Amino acid sequence: MVLLENDAFLTELTRLFQKCRTSGSVVITLKKYDGRTKPVPKKGQSESFEPADNKCLLRASDGKKKISTVAYSNLLRAHIDGLKKKDKKSKSKKTKATQ
Amino acid sequence: MPYYQTWEEFVRAAEKLYLADPMKVRVVLKYRHCDGNLCIKVTDNAVCLQYKTDQAQDVKKIEKLHGKLMRLMVSKETHSSAMETD
Repeated sequence: MVLLENDAFLTELTRLFQKCRTSGSVVITLKKYDGRTKPVPKKGQSESFEPADNKCLLRASDGKKKISTVAYSNLLRAHIDGLKKKDKKSKSKKTKATQ
Repeated sequence: MPYYQTWEEFVRAAEKLYLADPMKVRVVLKYRHCDGNLCIKVTDNAVCLQYKTDQAQDVKKIEKLHGKLMRLMVSKETHSSAMETD
């Protein structure tokens, strides 16, 4: 699993989409992230992390390659815009087919 | 693992599930260009909601919901104010 910076993640995600145009799927996972870097301790209270509330984890995979990034609020709009243009372009042939 | 037939129902259920426990819920988007479909799943590992489409008009709706959930996840303030901005 490759952890990337937001811009690099966006670039790699675009590349993943392009690679999977002829076959395969792109899976994107989104989850709220509180800044934990260690697993939750079973015994004892080692609360060595301060919970952060403004981050989320984004992961993407094409079945073989996996990439991920921690996204902050200001980067998210850029990500969704990048994604939308790609999807609309490739999905437009579907609307034409059904109409 | 039911596939919802109506978008509105799916959105309502998804938002409700997320607000119940934001830390537990994850959103999964699966896009297959070769088959021409997009599937969105919202789950907290107990309940699983899914919606599937092959229509380009639904892509925008899915992307809006995805963005909305993302914004909820990164907003510092409590959930309700973030939801009203949409």
